[in-house]
Amino acid sequence: MKVLEGFEVTKEFREGRAEVVPVLKGVSLALERGEIVSLEGPSGSGKTTLLSILGCILTPSSGRVVVDGEEIDPGRPGQLPAIRRKSIGFVFQQFNLFPSLTALENVEYALNVKGSKGAAARREAERVLEAVDLSDRKDFLPRDLSGGQKQRIAIARALAGTAPILLADEPTANLDSHIGAQVLELFRALAKKEDRALLIVTHDPKVRSIADRVLRIRDGQIAADGLAA
Amino acid sequence: MVDLATKSLLHDRLRFVITVSGVAFAVTLVFVQVGLFLGLLDNASVTIDHISADLWVTSRNTPNVDFAHTFPETSVQRVRSVPGVARADNLIVWFMTVNLPSGAQEGTLVYALDDFRRWNIPWNVESGDLDDLKRGQYFFLDGSAVKRYGPFAPGEYREILGQRMKIIGRTKDARSFTTTPISFMDFDRAQKLSSQQLTNRTTYILVKLAPGADVAAARAEIARRLPYNDVYTRKEWATRSRNYWVQSTGIGLNMYITVFLGCLVGIVVVAQTLYTSTMEHLKEFGTVKAIGGGNLDIYRILGKQAAIAAVAGFLLGALMSFAMRPVIAKIDLKLIITPQFAAIVFVGSILMCLGAAMISFRKVASIDPALVFRG
Repeated sequence: MKVLEGFEVTKEFREGRAEVVPVLKGVSLALERGEIVSLEGPSGSGKTTLLSILGCILTPSSGRVVVDGEEIDPGRPGQLPAIRRKSIGFVFQQFNLFPSLTALENVEYALNVKGSKGAAARREAERVLEAVDLSDRKDFLPRDLSGGQKQRIAIARALAGTAPILLADEPTANLDSHIGAQVLELFRALAKKEDRALLIVTHDPKVRSIADRVLRIRDGQIAADGLAA
Repeated sequence: MVDLATKSLLHDRLRFVITVSGVAFAVTLVFVQVGLFLGLLDNASVTIDHISADLWVTSRNTPNVDFAHTFPETSVQRVRSVPGVARADNLIVWFMTVNLPSGAQEGTLVYALDDFRRWNIPWNVESGDLDDLKRGQYFFLDGSAVKRYGPFAPGEYREILGQRMKIIGRTKDARSFTTTPISFMDFDRAQKLSSQQLTNRTTYILVKLAPGADVAAARAEIARRLPYNDVYTRKEWATRSRNYWVQSTGIGLNMYITVFLGCLVGIVVVAQTLYTSTMEHLKEFGTVKAIGGGNLDIYRILGKQAAIAAVAGFLLGALMSFAMRPVIAKIDLKLIITPQFAAIVFVGSILMCLGAAMISFRKVASIDPALVFRG
C-alpha cells in the first residue's frame, strides 16, 4: 500500500529578480508501507529539496504529492503542519535535539506537538526510547550523550506516534562508520517492525545495505530506480 | 506537557539573569520614581487628608493649601447658618519666620485653630497637651523640623516673628510639600503674632456637614453667600493642592520622563536578549516547525519566556524597592507603593516584556523549516 507518492514534481527557486533556477524537473516516485528507500545523488542534485517537498516543508512548483492518502494543495500552506504532525517523522543530519530537554523530554515534546499529552505521551516516549535501547539514558541532556546516542534519540523522536512515513536526511553523516552502521541497522529493524515507510537521503553507500530500493537523482531528475544490491 | 519555554530559558542562566536584571532595573526605577513622587504629593495634601472637614472655603483662586490668602473671619458666621452645616471654624495657614538659637532664620508653616481636637489635627501627637495651646505663648512643632532647625525639645523657646514662644508639644508626620516645618498654635495667638495681616482675618473655613446633609446643596448655598470665595470638597481641595505642584514645577514631567526611560531601558534589554536568544535558537524553532508545530507554538514559547522574565524581574525589582524604603525614610522622604500601584507596575512589566517579545515574533514568522536540513 502506497503511503507517499509524487507525480511529476517540479520545484523552481528564484535567484535575484529574474533568474529562475529549476531544481526538480518532473520527479515521480512512490513509497510503500514498510519499504526502505535510499535516495542518492551528488550535491546540488535536488535530494534535500525533494525530501522537503515530500516532507511537506516546501510546496512543489507543479506536480502532485499525496501523503498517506491526502493530496497536498499548494494553495493551502496552512495544511502542511497538520500533515507533518499526523504522517511524517523526521531524522536530521545534525540530530536537531533540544539542548535544554532530556532524551525522554525530547521525544515527549514531539508527541506533545503532535497532540499527544500527559501520561500517554510519557508512556509512548518511554516505549520508543526502549526500542532504541536508550532507556538508561532517558534523563540525560543531549550534551551528555555521544553522537550515536543522539541519533538514536532522533530516531526515537521520529518513530514516536503513528506517523507512517519516516524521512531521514544524511542520518549517518556525523557518525563514525561503525556507529553509523549500528544506527542504520536499528533504523531498518524498527521501520520494518512498525511497518513504516523510510526514505533516507544519503551520500553514504552503507545505506544501500539496509535499503529495499535505491533511487538515484541527477540534475533534478530520477536517473535510476532499482532494487538495492 | 514538556515545558520547552521554561527549560530553554533556564538552560542559559547568564542570559536569563541579564534579562531579569533588565526588567528589575526598569521596575525599580518606576517604583522609586513614582513612589517618591507619590510621597511628595502626599505631603502636598497630608493636612487636608487628615483634617475632618467635608468642605473647605478658601479665598478666590487659592492655588494650594500652603499658599493661603486672607479674607474676613466673620465669613464663618454666614457659613454656620447654612442648612446642613453642623460646624464651621476658621483655620489660619500662614508662613512665619522663626529665629533659631544659632542666629539663623527659618520659616514655619503655622496651622492655627480655635479647637484642634475637633478637626483631628495634628493627628499624631508625640508629646504635649493640645488644650495647653490656649494658655500662653505656646506652640507645637513637628518632629520633621529637626532637619531644618536642629534638635529641639518641649520646654525650649524659639522666636516666631520676634515673639518668644515656648515649644510645649511635638507632633509627627505633619509635613508640607516645600519641607517647611509645620507648627500648631492657637487661632488668636497666630492673629496677634502677625497682626498686620491676620487681625480679624482668616485663610480658610473648615466645614463639617450634618449626617445625611446634601453636600451639593450646602456647597452651593455657601458659594452663594460668599461670592468672593471658593468652596471645595475635601477631595477636590486635596487634588487641587497636589496638581498645583505637578503643574507648576517640573516634578510631574520629571516623573513621566523617568518612567518612560525606565520602561525604554527595560524594553530594550528584554527585546535585545530575547531577540539574540531567538536568533541563536532558530534551528530549534525550525525543528519545532518541522515536527509539526506552527508559528503559534513558537509564539507561545517566546511569550511564556517573556512572561517568566517579567514576573521574576518584577519580584526582584519590587524587593529592591521595598529594601530601599528605610534608606529613603532616613533622608525624610516617603516612598509610597500602594497595592494598586504595584498591580499597575506588574501588569506594565508583563506588557513591556510581551511587547519586547513581539520583535522576535516577526523573526519567528519568517523561519523556513527547511533550515533544519542545513548543516
